[in-house]
Amino acid sequence: MAFDADEALDIFITEARELLESFEEGLLQLEADPDDAETINAIFRSAHTLKGSSGLFGLNHLVGFAHVVETLLGHVREGTVRVTPELISVLLPCADHITRFVEGVAEGRPEPSPGEAAEAEALLARLAPFEPGAAPAAAAAVSAASDAADQEPDGPRGWYLRLRFGPDCLRNGMDPLSLLRYLTSLGTIDRIAVDDSALPEASDLDPETNYLAFEAELSTEAPKSEIESVFDFVRDDSDIRITPLDSGEFVGRIESMPDRDRIGDVLQESGAVTPGEIDEALRIQRERTRDSGPVPIGQVLIEEGIAPSAVVEAALSKQRRTADTRSGDTQTIRIDAGRLDRLIDLVGELVIAQAGISVNDHLSEAQGEVTRLIDEVRHSALALRMVPIGMTLRRFERVVRDVCVTLGKEVHLTITGGDAEMDKALVERISDPLLHLVRNSLDHGIESPSDRVEAGKPAQGQLRLNAYHDAGNIVIEVSDDGRGLDRDRILAKAVDRGLVAAGATLTDHEVYDLIFEPGFSTAEKISNLSGRGVGMDVVRRNVAALRGSIEVDSVRGQGATIRIRLPLTLAIIDGFLVGVGGSSFIVPLDRVTECVEFPTGNRDRDHMNLRGEVLPFIRLNNLFGLDGDVARRQSVVVVEQSGQRTGLVVDALLGEFQTVIKPLGPLFSSLKCVSGSTILGNGDVALILDVGPLVTEYADLERVRHAGTGNGHPSRRRPVLAGQPVT
Amino acid sequence: MGKTILVVDDSASVRQVVSIALKGAGYDVIQGSDGKDALKQLDGRRIHLIISDVNMPNMDGITFVAEAKKLPAYKFTPIIMLTTESQEEKKKQAQAAGAKAWVTKPFQPEQMLAAVSKLIAP
Repeated sequence: MAFDADEALDIFITEARELLESFEEGLLQLEADPDDAETINAIFRSAHTLKGSSGLFGLNHLVGFAHVVETLLGHVREGTVRVTPELISVLLPCADHITRFVEGVAEGRPEPSPGEAAEAEALLARLAPFEPGAAPAAAAAVSAASDAADQEPDGPRGWYLRLRFGPDCLRNGMDPLSLLRYLTSLGTIDRIAVDDSALPEASDLDPETNYLAFEAELSTEAPKSEIESVFDFVRDDSDIRITPLDSGEFVGRIESMPDRDRIGDVLQESGAVTPGEIDEALRIQRERTRDSGPVPIGQVLIEEGIAPSAVVEAALSKQRRTADTRSGDTQTIRIDAGRLDRLIDLVGELVIAQAGISVNDHLSEAQGEVTRLIDEVRHSALALRMVPIGMTLRRFERVVRDVCVTLGKEVHLTITGGDAEMDKALVERISDPLLHLVRNSLDHGIESPSDRVEAGKPAQGQLRLNAYHDAGNIVIEVSDDGRGLDRDRILAKAVDRGLVAAGATLTDHEVYDLIFEPGFSTAEKISNLSGRGVGMDVVRRNVAALRGSIEVDSVRGQGATIRIRLPLTLAIIDGFLVGVGGSSFIVPLDRVTECVEFPTGNRDRDHMNLRGEVLPFIRLNNLFGLDGDVARRQSVVVVEQSGQRTGLVVDALLGEFQTVIKPLGPLFSSLKCVSGSTILGNGDVALILDVGPLVTEYADLERVRHAGTGNGHPSRRRPVLAGQPVT
Repeated sequence: MGKTILVVDDSASVRQVVSIALKGAGYDVIQGSDGKDALKQLDGRRIHLIISDVNMPNMDGITFVAEAKKLPAYKFTPIIMLTTESQEEKKKQAQAAGAKAWVTKPFQPEQMLAAVSKLIAP
């Protein structure tokens, strides 16, 4: 047979090595976290796939061995066997054993050496006590053998044969009847029909010519290639078509197959098409391409009746999926995260060193070049960590499906912008908050189908996940077309909880922001899905921990959109350097909207007029309790947080600064308005301001101040930071 | 009465192996040591199948097949050529001469029997 077994075996070995690697990784992970269902699943799958594919190559030793491991892992998955360190320490040598055996196969030893066989037996004996009911290993091995047979589905299968023997076949000594008779040695011909439509008038009949064609249904256990070989001798001048009566089995087999690039390989491996037929189809394809332009091979296969369209379709979609994963592979490179962090660290140092040059302005031209280069290095280094968010978003398809089933809702999920990239660390850490938001939308946002119809909406709700880049940030939106937020109820509840003074006037945004307050939940019924009021505040905390922000838009009755805004990376930001007293601070540049001169005559107030609008401002020297002279001409850096603008009064604007974030030590973890520090070119430390808390904290303080004594001259107010407990 | 097969090969051992296998399956076997000899063996006899090697002294298999096909008695007689993997060209020639079936050397007796039974019943 032309089927290249060697090539296929190579593929198997590569695949087996990968599977073993992830198997081992999974085991180690499991040791750390014995209840991680996902890991258990993953290692079960590894063992299962390994068993399946080794069956295709007749590696019975491996099939038997992997089967026992797989069965045991199956029990683990179902929870009937618990993961213990003992179990792991038996499974690990099993992985080693399989690895050794696979390497043996790679070197051309498909049978285990006596030593390996003994080792396998010993390992199986060690596994046996873990089996529920501790079935003897021998019995398991026997069932493994029968299971291996399942891989090549036994039992007869039905084939439809269309046999148009050539006119010369009799002259060539090929008797069609003899071939049909031989066919019965493979199986049973259930039905047969003679097609004599080509038979001419008796007067024109040439007794030496064959005019007859046959159609037959054959049930046989033999593979297609064997049926085909019956007609080897008449192949050249006859038209022989063999197609499965039931293509479902082949479709199933194609779907469970490991990835393949070529549709021909897929079809061949499934057994639906033989190598000879592929060659023939390729020949027809070439001819037709020459005559009338390109034709896809799939079309040829279907039109020539070589393979049923269902099978070809399955193979095509397999091929597409393979291409997808392949292109996915090229998008992600596995890099040791430690090395990457080191590189980013180094780049950070480089940025700092470069800042040192800029102190000395003789070399401005060279320095400009260095700056440009460093910027490029920074971008490419950071790009190493960038991954598309699509994978994370697509995971929610399953969540939506499952939740809908639980809640009896109909929801269609649309994902857009999955190719927007962000830092891998961020992707991982945003996934849980997102999960919560999605569940929340499904649970509280989107109404039940009957409620929706009553409200004049389609019964099927729409949930949309959208990601896009916006000014150095990535924005992820979770929007639904559900009932939206109930402003009045949120407000009432907030008053009830003492979060807001009764009668306070709040903007819609301020009201919506209340849902992120700790302990706030308006759902009348607490469902098991979206929590007990521990949800949204945790989401906000998580987002804030990633230096992101979260906001809500909602139209009553029409839906809500929750927007998470995150920096692209956690390592370096574009900062805006300002001087206050003798100290320097960094304001994240993406928060800065503009800088204006601090109007004289505002010395005693805490708000100013910005083009006709009231702009509250914070004097940073007061806030941080900084001594030193206030500059004669101060400036105001206008920052924006959740649509609300606030001014920061500073003494000097020092310009843009590429800021390498150095985290503050654990001692300062409770500091609210500072998110980190960085080192300036001259060696000084500058604190990075965390604009969100800064603005809200200050507003709180204001409220306290107004509610209290009311004599709060700004310069005498207690500095926020000095008052923080340092723990 | 079994069907008769003519086995043509210059190697006596090949003829022997094939004959034993065929006889075991219920066929009658006559042998020819080369093309010329084989033509003599035909001699108007009722032959149901011919198995012939390609490379033989005196008259090669392809010439023999072409000659045999010219004889009315053997016009419809199926012919199996014994070819080796490297003889694609020969195989084509043999097919042109009228030998549409082939068995590739080296072969197991079972392969030979399978090929034969595709063409004629025992």
